[in-house]
Amino acid sequence: MRTYTEINERIRAGEAVILTAEEVIDVVRDKGVKRATEEVDVVTTGTFGAMCSSGAFLNFGHSEPPIRMQKAWLNDVPAYTGIASVDAYIGATEMADLDGAPYGGAHVIESLIAGEAVNLQALSAGTDCYPRKEIETSITLDALNQAYLYNPRNAYQNYSVATNSSNQTVFTYMGKLLPNYRNATFSTAGELSPLLNDPRMRTVGIGTRIFLGGGVGYVSWEGTQFRTTNETVNGVPVGGSRTIAVTGDMKGMSTEFVRALEFHRYGVSLAIGLGIPIPILDEDMMKSVSISNEDIMAPVFDYSMHTRDKKPLAQVSYAELRSGNIDLFGKRVRTSSTTSMPKSRLVAQQLKEWMEDGEFQLTELVAPMPSERGMLPLNVRSPKEVV
Amino acid sequence: MARRKFLLRFRPNIVSEPVTYLLVKDFGLIPNVLRASINDRGGKMVIEVDGKPSEIAAGMSFLETKGVEVQELMECVERDEGRCTHCGMCVSICPVEAFSVDKGTWKVSFDKERCIACGMCINACPPKAMQLM
Ligand code: SF4
Ligand code: SF4
Repeated sequence: MRTYTEINERIRAGEAVILTAEEVIDVVRDKGVKRATEEVDVVTTGTFGAMCSSGAFLNFGHSEPPIRMQKAWLNDVPAYTGIASVDAYIGATEMADLDGAPYGGAHVIESLIAGEAVNLQALSAGTDCYPRKEIETSITLDALNQAYLYNPRNAYQNYSVATNSSNQTVFTYMGKLLPNYRNATFSTAGELSPLLNDPRMRTVGIGTRIFLGGGVGYVSWEGTQFRTTNETVNGVPVGGSRTIAVTGDMKGMSTEFVRALEFHRYGVSLAIGLGIPIPILDEDMMKSVSISNEDIMAPVFDYSMHTRDKKPLAQVSYAELRSGNIDLFGKRVRTSSTTSMPKSRLVAQQLKEWMEDGEFQLTELVAPMPSERGMLPLNVRSPKEVV
Repeated sequence: MARRKFLLRFRPNIVSEPVTYLLVKDFGLIPNVLRASINDRGGKMVIEVDGKPSEIAAGMSFLETKGVEVQELMECVERDEGRCTHCGMCVSICPVEAFSVDKGTWKVSFDKERCIACGMCINACPPKAMQLM
C-alpha cells in the first residue's frame, strides 16, 4: 500500500521509481506483481492520435473602441462567439469555407501553438456599450489573455477496428479503407494507452493532472460518450468505452504533440499527445498496468455499412493488430494504425522525466468518474414521444 | 519521343497474353518492365514506355480494351519528415510495400527506391506528410 502523499514526497526527493506502461510489463513478468508493486511508485502512459472532440477557448482582449463579437473567423475558420464579447471557442473540426486543401480549426490551433500570426476577423451589430461593428487584425498565442484547450472527449479507452467489405474505397475518420477487406485500421496505443491501464478509473478522475499536448493539463469532467457497458475481456472493455474531458494551457504546448490532421473526404481533425501517470497504490493497480497487447481485444466493424447498429465481424488483439496483419475469415488483412506509437512513447517518456526531475507531482482525484454509464441513441421523436 | 510510367493491373484471364510484346509490335513502343508480380490470380506490372505520345496513348487504350487496368504513375513522391508522425496509416495502403514498420521503435520507414509513385498514400496520410514532387 502506498499513498499519493508518499509518492509525491518520493518524487520531490528524486527517489520515485517510475516506469512506462510498456517497461513495467517485463518487470511484472520477471518479478511478479507483489515485488513489482513494492519497487515501482508510478507508471506513465501515453497516446498520440486523432481526437476530433477538441478545441480551444480564446480571449482576445478588448479593442478600442470595444466590440462585442457576434461572428468571428480565425484564418477564415468560423469560431463560436455565442459567449461573452471577446471570448470564442475554436473547434478542431470546423472548416474554412475556402477552395483548395481543407483547412480547419485544428490548423489554426497548430499555428497558434507554433507561435505563428493568425488572422482574426469579427463582426457585430454594435451595442451601446460595444459600439464597434467590425475588426480585422493579427493575433498570436502570446497576445491572447487566455488560450486553453478544452476537449470534451479525448483518450478513448479502447476503440473499434475499421474495415470495408464493399467494392469501393471508403474514406472515413478511421482513414482510407480499401475495397474487399484489403486493409483494416485501428487506433489507441494498446498497452501504453492511458485508460486501458486503469480500466475502472480508480486513479483517474476530475482534477487528475496529466500531460496534454506537450504541457500540463487536467481532467475536467467525464468525456462525452463515456460508457461502461461494453463487454470486458481480461479486465478491459472491448471497444470504445470510457473517455475524459481535458483542459490545458496552450501556452505550454508544442506542435510536437498537437498536430492538425486531414482525413481525406471526411474532414479535419487534431492529433493530440496525452499521457496520464498511474500511481501504484497497491497490487491491484500493478495488475492493471501490467496488461499487454495480447490481452487487449478490439472489435472489427465494417465501415461501409451505414448504420449505428453494426455488428462486429470479429474480435482481434492489439498484438495481432500491431503485427501488421490480422486474419479475417481466413484472409490476411493488412493493418494500419491512426495512433503513432513513437509519439505515444515520447509522451510517456516525457511524463516520466518530468517526475524524475521533480517537476510534476500527482494529484488525488477531486471526484471520481461515473461507475456506470450507458450510451443513449438519438431517435427522431415528437415532443410528446420524448418526454 | 516521350517516356511515361504506368501501373498495369491484370485480371487472371489476360495474364497469359504477351502484353509487352504487343506494345512493341503493334505500337512501336519500347517498354521497360520495372517491376512485375504476376501469377494465375492476376497481377501488377510497372512499366516505363518510350515512344511517340500519340502511340503511347493508343497503346494504353488498347490495353484497357483488353481489360487491363492502366494507371499512370507520377514523377516522384516524397515524405516530409517533419510532418510524419510515424502513425502507420500509409503502411496498409501501399501496393508495393514501400513502407515498413520497425517492431522495436515502431518507426515507419519509407523506401523511395521501392515506391512506384502511384499516389495512393497521399490522401491516406492524415498529417499530409506524403507529397507529390
Ligand atoms: S501515414 Fe503519413 S504520417 Fe503516418 S507514417 Fe505514413 S507518412 Fe508518416
Ligand atoms: S506513392 Fe505511396 S502508395 Fe504509391 S508506391 Fe509510393 S509509397 Fe507506395
